[in-house]
Amino acid sequence: MADAAVHQFNSILLGGRGGTNPGQLKVNSGGFQWRKAGGGKVVEVSTSDIASLSWTRVPKGFQLGVKLKAGRDVKFNGFREADMASLGSFFMANMGISAEEKPLAISGRNWGDATLEGSSLAFTVGGKHAFDVSISDVSQTQMQGKNEVMLEFHVDDTTGASEKDTLMELSFHIPTTNTTYLGDEERP
Amino acid sequence: GSGDGQGPNKTSGEIIAYRNVDDIPARELKIHVDQKNEAVLLPIYGLLVPFHIATVKSVSSQQDGGHSYIRIIFNVPGAGYGPNDVPTQKFPRSIYVKEVSFRSNDTRHSYQVVQLIKTLRRQVAQRESERAERAT
Repeated sequence: MADAAVHQFNSILLGGRGGTNPGQLKVNSGGFQWRKAGGGKVVEVSTSDIASLSWTRVPKGFQLGVKLKAGRDVKFNGFREADMASLGSFFMANMGISAEEKPLAISGRNWGDATLEGSSLAFTVGGKHAFDVSISDVSQTQMQGKNEVMLEFHVDDTTGASEKDTLMELSFHIPTTNTTYLGDEERP
Repeated sequence: GSGDGQGPNKTSGEIIAYRNVDDIPARELKIHVDQKNEAVLLPIYGLLVPFHIATVKSVSSQQDGGHSYIRIIFNVPGAGYGPNDVPTQKFPRSIYVKEVSFRSNDTRHSYQVVQLIKTLRRQVAQRESERAERAT
């Protein structure tokens, strides 16, 4: 097939708690291999471990979300619109996965739904994706009163964070009328 | 300004910071204040996540060692959103982001961000109270 067996992207940012790191991404039918620019961190994902793929339009381009069957999420940033089309058909033909479009929440509201899938806690506003955090980075959860759940994140200075400002705490107000009780699901 | 039709809206109305993804300024991953669209952008897991200024209840910063900490508290029903506000009325069962705290490695930046958020909050609150007065 005309579609190359390997797709290579030289500036793809791996997103995470500390921000984003630039690197090189290779995609083939076996999965994804991302290598940090200048060496160091390598992230490999096998096709057989992928639960789903999604595209999100973000301010600088497109983000590819890779959800693993084990529950973890990997985010690759820095794709162009053309990449979405060519990779989309590659995923379909070589991995048998159809990548869904996941629109970004941009209204700026602070209310919505929080859902826990695997180790990823996603916050959606009006059904659209606002943000997600990884529960594996949470060092402590606390109930404050009847309605508030507070997540405290690990202090990690070793990841070479690109961010000036690092998320340390995040708390949610959960009304007693809400039936999905976050506080219980939070603890593994 | 308030006359251009895309303006932000008081707590009791619809809250819309952006209508298109491209309107969000694509910038460095740190806290930003977008005065034009009256929004605060927070870096969460590699994305700049917008929060409309009308969702912000208070902001403060604190120094500790070589770092400064920025804390933003959001309005939630019963604390910020009153019983007649749209969020309380229409979304009583929703989950609300109540508070976020960031550690910053740039004291000047964190001081600046806190001042900008406070100023924007005050401007929008003043405009809304003037609008409400005119309406009566």
